Amino acid sequence: MRIIRRRGVPCLIPYLALLLIVGLWLVKVFQPSAVATAARRGVAGHVLDDQGEPIVDAQLRLYINREAEPAAETHSQPDGAYLLVLPEEKTVTSVRVEAEHSHFELSVWTPDRDEITNLLEAGTFVTHDIVLERQIVASFWIATVIFIGMLLLIATERLHSTLAVLLAVVLIFGVSLLGGAIMPDLFIFTFEQALEYVDFEVIFLLLGMMIVIGVIEETGIFQWLAYQAYRLSRGRVWLLTVILMTITTIASASLDNVITMLLITPIALEIALVLGINPFSLLVPALLAANVGGTGTLIGTPVNIIIGSYTEFGFNDFLINLMPGVLLGEVGLVFFVLLWYRKDHLSGGQKLSADLIKRLEENGRIRDAAKLRKSGIVFAGLLMLFIFGEPLHLTPDIAALTGAVVMLIWVNPDIEQMMGVVDWTTLMFFIGLFIAVGAIQEVGLLAMLATGISTIVGTNLLAAVLVVVWGSALLSGVVDNIPFAAAMLPVVKLLTHTVPNAENKVLFYALSTGANLGGNSTLIGSSANLVVAGVTERAGYRITFRQFLKVGLPATIVTTAIGCLWLLVHFM
Amino acid sequence: MGKILCATRGGEASIQTQDAAIKKAKETGDELIFIYVFDVEFLAHAKYTLRSDVVTDEMGRMADFLMAMAIDRAKQQGVNARSVIRQGDFKTELVATAKEEQVTLVILGRPAGKDSHFKIERLQDLIGKLEPETGIPFCILPDCPISSS
Repeated sequence: MRIIRRRGVPCLIPYLALLLIVGLWLVKVFQPSAVATAARRGVAGHVLDDQGEPIVDAQLRLYINREAEPAAETHSQPDGAYLLVLPEEKTVTSVRVEAEHSHFELSVWTPDRDEITNLLEAGTFVTHDIVLERQIVASFWIATVIFIGMLLLIATERLHSTLAVLLAVVLIFGVSLLGGAIMPDLFIFTFEQALEYVDFEVIFLLLGMMIVIGVIEETGIFQWLAYQAYRLSRGRVWLLTVILMTITTIASASLDNVITMLLITPIALEIALVLGINPFSLLVPALLAANVGGTGTLIGTPVNIIIGSYTEFGFNDFLINLMPGVLLGEVGLVFFVLLWYRKDHLSGGQKLSADLIKRLEENGRIRDAAKLRKSGIVFAGLLMLFIFGEPLHLTPDIAALTGAVVMLIWVNPDIEQMMGVVDWTTLMFFIGLFIAVGAIQEVGLLAMLATGISTIVGTNLLAAVLVVVWGSALLSGVVDNIPFAAAMLPVVKLLTHTVPNAENKVLFYALSTGANLGGNSTLIGSSANLVVAGVTERAGYRITFRQFLKVGLPATIVTTAIGCLWLLVHFM
Repeated sequence: MGKILCATRGGEASIQTQDAAIKKAKETGDELIFIYVFDVEFLAHAKYTLRSDVVTDEMGRMADFLMAMAIDRAKQQGVNARSVIRQGDFKTELVATAKEEQVTLVILGRPAGKDSHFKIERLQDLIGKLEPETGIPFCILPDCPISSS
């Protein structure tokens, strides 16, 4: 022991010395200089727009003694904060602060006599918030035209939605960077500023969920559930409809409405043929229920994922604030569709051969029981992480990635195959979309829209909720609800600040309710509608825009009215 | 004995086509082959993860079910029938199957009204191009010849 001690102590000395040196250096580097602090003086505050929102990267210059060159310069931070430090050595007789941003008018502030007196005292910072007035320049119109063009390309399907978004991004950068170099009014933002608009929480949450769902998809659970609904209902079509609607509601809320409907549609169609009923009398209710069900959770629809990330709503926030309204809406929907399709549900009676019924049974079997068991356990764990992870600051994107990694390690370790499962096209769509929305936010279009809505609703929260719910529902029937919701988020945020008593975030839930439920109104209102139409058309059953509208629109009115009523009761 | 290739899906209009093809096969004593061509282009509408392999598999199962229904109906009327399920472009797969199976007649259904995805003019144009290309007679129901061989 003694020998070890003697040998050990000298060996440790260089390391301890090194640690001491590094430690002292760190202390010196990070300890604010007492002398400097005492002598520092200047102007600090925030740069805000006329709606009180922080302006990032505004250029601030501090001039003293009427000199031509600024004595201090800085840029506003992400929260709009700035700090201009006066030079220590100079005597100050006058101060002028200029704030400038490409999309705002130049603002000049001159402190009054008292403020200058304060500034002359060492260690004093005068606080002054600078409000910049928006100016509409060429970049505003160009960004607006590009964004509307992008929405039209998506709506008319002239280009794949991801291509339409990427085209918009390329045009935005082209105009902003190349055009901006020639004509400053064309500048929108830099590449780095654009990337700040990309919500990587959304990207990682989608990525994680894609892997999780990608494994569950191939187990056959959806098809098995649909077949069990057929068995349990024993030929009672109304009961089958209700059970199928329940299944699609739960599956959409916990996974995704498009996946749910895509995998359930083929077997539900077979069931309808076995029963000899109009397949749409079974499929449309299930589809409408799926679209409504997804509204109730954070992960149920991409719109909710975007809203959740933007507002930092957790999984439980959606469960508490939206799910009850969704469930009530589902009850209303069940009554509506049973009434709507009552004749179709009574018209069955076709007798198919035993061979065909056997085929149906085979198609309704679990494809991979072992994988289902494992992926079921992982998914249950993931739901637990979503629900109970919030107090531990485990954000939904991290929870989803955790679930995905566990799924990859334990259930399907073929990383190459699973990376193929990830829909990179969709992830690129979202990245491009965030940049395109960022562009119209940067140039002030969204602020202008918010001001317009604010003028309509005034200080009436009820009016604001109704406008957001029904306006979103109406527009989501005709334009893609994902870019719509992404663009509306800053608008709703501004309304939340301007409308009294909206601090409870009811308007964000109103946006979710309208944008998601509105998708049921038309055939093009939701991706799930289009994929179901695609599958049924390939089976020889075509549903036209008008046919869908006839049932979808009243169903949307019923569910949106119930959802809206819930929001009013719950929040007001 | 010849072979009749009948392009079909599964809806009401398709069932009429199948029945007419069954009737024709019964009259001529030909073997009846139902062909079902599908694609998964509708997946482009989805903005979320969709495994095309899983979807293709499900579409195949559905096609298999729909074709089994058609075969069932043919057998009930004493017609020897089977089916071919292909994934891809309708025209390409139809021609390829017609050549592979060495069919003597290809029957296509008449588009069902204004709501149909196919238009009669387009179908007639298609036939006008395919007949010289394949050397096989094509017809649109109900204007099909009595004998195919």
